Amino acid sequence: MEKRKLFTGILVFGSLWGFSEIIIGSMLRDARLPAGAILTGVFAFGLMLMSRILFKTRGMQMGMGLVAGALRLFMPFSDCTICSGIAIMAEGVIFEVLWHTLSRGFEENESLINKSSLGIVMSYGVYVTGYMITQILTPVVASAGFHLKDLLPFIPQILSSGLLAAALGGVMSPLAFSLKSVDVTRVKNRLYYPAAIGISALCWWVVIAKTY
Amino acid sequence: MKNKKLILILAAVIILVGIASTVYVRMSKTDFAQITVNGEAYTIEQLFGIAEARTIEADSGIALDDLMIQTGIEDPGGHEYTLIGADGYQKTVQWENMRNGLLTMERESVFSDLPKAFRVKDIVEIKVE
Repeated sequence: MEKRKLFTGILVFGSLWGFSEIIIGSMLRDARLPAGAILTGVFAFGLMLMSRILFKTRGMQMGMGLVAGALRLFMPFSDCTICSGIAIMAEGVIFEVLWHTLSRGFEENESLINKSSLGIVMSYGVYVTGYMITQILTPVVASAGFHLKDLLPFIPQILSSGLLAAALGGVMSPLAFSLKSVDVTRVKNRLYYPAAIGISALCWWVVIAKTY
Repeated sequence: MKNKKLILILAAVIILVGIASTVYVRMSKTDFAQITVNGEAYTIEQLFGIAEARTIEADSGIALDDLMIQTGIEDPGGHEYTLIGADGYQKTVQWENMRNGLLTMERESVFSDLPKAFRVKDIVEIKVE
């Protein structure tokens, strides 16, 4: 895989992820829907898995987390911006660790139940760990300080809300695996670069325009 | 092969853990007819009757620092305050934060110096430690 093509892939998928966290996330919250679980199950996990299947490159999702986290930092009027940015970056790392541990021996013609199970485990892992990281980081950055006694009683709530992220991950996983036959290296450069850069620029422009 | 079996088992465990925690969360949801402040139970109306009003941007309610003073907390600056919601969500804050915080009629905490994560909804208890 050409390095330039890979970096452009990181940029476009990371931008889509950041865009979904900010723009779609805000719409979901306004509609009083469980935004965190939907964002992780459909967008964060879905986009990371799609990109992993398309580009087949280790470390790409960490890069996507950096791009999405950086885009999140442009949104200063939300919760704890730094914490959300760091939590997104952490989700990229968690995905890498889980994928490295669990996907060994996974093949193209894997059964639907295996693909769904992988999605359930990974999406839940990404959601629960990301949530806990935010719960720890936010008070640390704020003047109140982190207290373990605040986190422990809330763990059942985190584990419970992750069920939706797990279910969505179970649906997204077989969909993402259906892209296995797509070969990104064969996409013509004159189509790939303008499309990827155009989509990334649009994501950043919409976020910045909404913020300022 | 071993890995695939492990994934299937993990997925089943996750679903069971998710369902069990959902049941636990629903069963342990506290009834919030009253708010306990330092061991004493009050209605929200009673609390609004004893503490001074405060507004932070679009939110208005009663000042958390004055509430602590009016409910008889001695040496308020020497304590930490834990705000506990009906769903188990809780946040511990310092006296300095209480001086910048309010409690709304909807039982939600709002702080001008802390992120939104410190907005505890459906508060059932304020512990003084």
